[in-house]
Amino acid sequence: MIVVKNMNRFLVFISVIVLSSFTFQSCEKNDQVDENGKGITHLKYWCASNSHEIDLAKHLVNKWNATHPNIPVDLQPIPASQSSEEVLLAAIAGKTTPDICSNMWPGAMDDFTSSGGLVNFDRFPDFFEFIDQRVPRDLLESFQSPDGKYYQLPWKTNPTMLMYNVKMFREAGIEGDLKTYSQFLDAAKKMTKDLDGDGNFDQWMGYRNINTIWWQRLFDYYPFYIAASGGKTLFDGPKIIFNNKASVQVFEFFHQIFENGYFPISQMQGDNFIIGRLATQITGPWNIAHVDRFKPEGFEYDIMPLPVPDDFEGQVYTRGDHKNIAIFSTTKHPEEAWEFAKFLISPEADVKLLELCTQVPIRKNLLTDSLYQDYFSKNPKMVKFAQQAPYTRGVDGVSDLKEIFDGICQEYEMAAIYGVKDPKEAVRDAEKRAKVIMEWNRSR
Amino acid sequence: MRLFQRIKNSDKAGYVMSLPYIISFLMFMGFPLVFSLILVFHKWNIVTPMEFVGLRNFVRLFQDVQFLRSITNTLIFISIHIPLQIAVALMLAVFLNQKIKFRALFRATYFLPVVVSGVVITILWQQLYAFETGLLNNIMIKFGLDKIPWLVSPDWAMPSIAIMATWKNVGLYVILFLVGLQGVPSYMYEAADIDGAKAWQKFFYITLPALNSTMVLVIILSTIGGFSLFIEPFVMTGGGPMNSTLSAMLYIYNQAFYFGHMGYAATLGFFFAFIILTIVLLQKKFVERK
Repeated sequence: MIVVKNMNRFLVFISVIVLSSFTFQSCEKNDQVDENGKGITHLKYWCASNSHEIDLAKHLVNKWNATHPNIPVDLQPIPASQSSEEVLLAAIAGKTTPDICSNMWPGAMDDFTSSGGLVNFDRFPDFFEFIDQRVPRDLLESFQSPDGKYYQLPWKTNPTMLMYNVKMFREAGIEGDLKTYSQFLDAAKKMTKDLDGDGNFDQWMGYRNINTIWWQRLFDYYPFYIAASGGKTLFDGPKIIFNNKASVQVFEFFHQIFENGYFPISQMQGDNFIIGRLATQITGPWNIAHVDRFKPEGFEYDIMPLPVPDDFEGQVYTRGDHKNIAIFSTTKHPEEAWEFAKFLISPEADVKLLELCTQVPIRKNLLTDSLYQDYFSKNPKMVKFAQQAPYTRGVDGVSDLKEIFDGICQEYEMAAIYGVKDPKEAVRDAEKRAKVIMEWNRSR
Repeated sequence: MRLFQRIKNSDKAGYVMSLPYIISFLMFMGFPLVFSLILVFHKWNIVTPMEFVGLRNFVRLFQDVQFLRSITNTLIFISIHIPLQIAVALMLAVFLNQKIKFRALFRATYFLPVVVSGVVITILWQQLYAFETGLLNNIMIKFGLDKIPWLVSPDWAMPSIAIMATWKNVGLYVILFLVGLQGVPSYMYEAADIDGAKAWQKFFYITLPALNSTMVLVIILSTIGGFSLFIEPFVMTGGGPMNSTLSAMLYIYNQAFYFGHMGYAATLGFFFAFIILTIVLLQKKFVERK
């Protein structure tokens, strides 16, 4: 009996501890006042988990906290996972979202908004006045939700372009940008070599991950499709439009690349561009910081737009890896979160985005605004990305996007990588598959 | 009433002691199982409300060619992995059952991959298997042989994964066979020696029949393990090339966590569990002998 009584006391003790911790947690940081009796509002902010963006977020949060003692911001990188979207969806389901997050991918917005997880920015009276100074209206409208509201604050766009090894190009006698598929393939023929005479290539024109994970196609098929189609995306409103000449040309182009061994059908480890085994790399401006940090002595590189089909005419577009800012509907302080969001995309914060992350802010007149002149004169390679930035397209904000990309992945693999299917047929089947996916997902 | 009376009169300490297990069972087994069963009849993407769809998930399942492909792939994996694993494990167990030097060291070494993280091993093997830069192909080139497309050919990818999985898991089955071997009475071998039996005759007529119960255990465990194939294709190939390594578990995972079809994934999960149960029961019936 004594044991049971002690056990009961122990259980009561544990329960009190657990309940008190919950109580204290729920009161956490909400009822504080400063020394003048003014209320203190804490905001929780999630940033992307890469080291450059964490540095940027730390810098901005410190600056904000120094000037806004009554609205201190607690910074936390997005918890580790396969993707940020996965974490954010789980957080929405568990109602553990932060007040504000700066790593919102437009392709996943439909999931977030349909669950009622986000606050619309156009509810704030000064939204349009503020955003019109920064973002062209047509670009802003591309981020408008189907319900007509704005749940994302355009922040940055990272154009996908071609980075190349200047020395390797020079040695091969290649000058100027590779504007067309023919020029690219001719250069690839010169660049792909067996250096040690063992009958196997040791140097290639480039490399693309051949895994059939849907997002890998955001770095080969999709930007090349946008370029070849003159800026089209997979959808026009609710209609699928990617079964077209541009898609077929991209599939054919990559098939030639893989068939001739210009890109190895392999899973390469490490950065083979930096060590000079790859002549080009399909990448974005974020890679500049990485290459500059790890490049060997004497390594020279430059940037060019993606090549397009030989018969293409007009402006060359590419994929822009847009990342935007959102406020979650779990916030108790939307007004304060909006103020902080405006701070995150202020002109001075954009200078830091360029300096610390080498990423391109979505901002009008970026190249002519005197505030950024100093940065661009010191970083001429970033000028190419900034010039390309207005000619970028993101992804369509449809809820089936990942599945549709998965379908494209399967067909791309068969037609482009392994060449076991005719490109035309593959594109047609990808479209069919996308329709079946959408039909199933809409059916009740 | 009697039950309540018995509970009232019993020593409560027992209930308190078993509470951690009951709570963990309810949280991590009972609740997910019941919830998954509910999901089978619903469409749900985690964030939006559940929608009742009746048996539509089953209708989709029976029309899903890719799921059928993933089951076929899993069966291909199992048909390579289980015989290979049993042969290698049995060979090593017989070897390690001899009186050899450093026996304990060898036993520990063979068991080591079992306790190392599957992801770590998979990443290491991915580098070994790399077509252009991998160690295995570099060795082959040194010997004047052609490179093997270990993970990039639809014909080679699944056997390559099966070899790697065998290497990782064989240590566990070596231990099981060793336990079995140590239970074989030595007088049987002595009698066989007197009768003039050769080594292979002793192996096939004494060792193997004596290991029958261990064999059943090994087959059932490696069948269940084989059906759970996930980490290897997830890390190494993502299910490619051309879906040749898309295992059923990987497909279910993709449906649930990439595409947000929780209800459909739960349906696939239950259906797949039913297949495993059927196969294990059949194995038990045909392999187990008195």
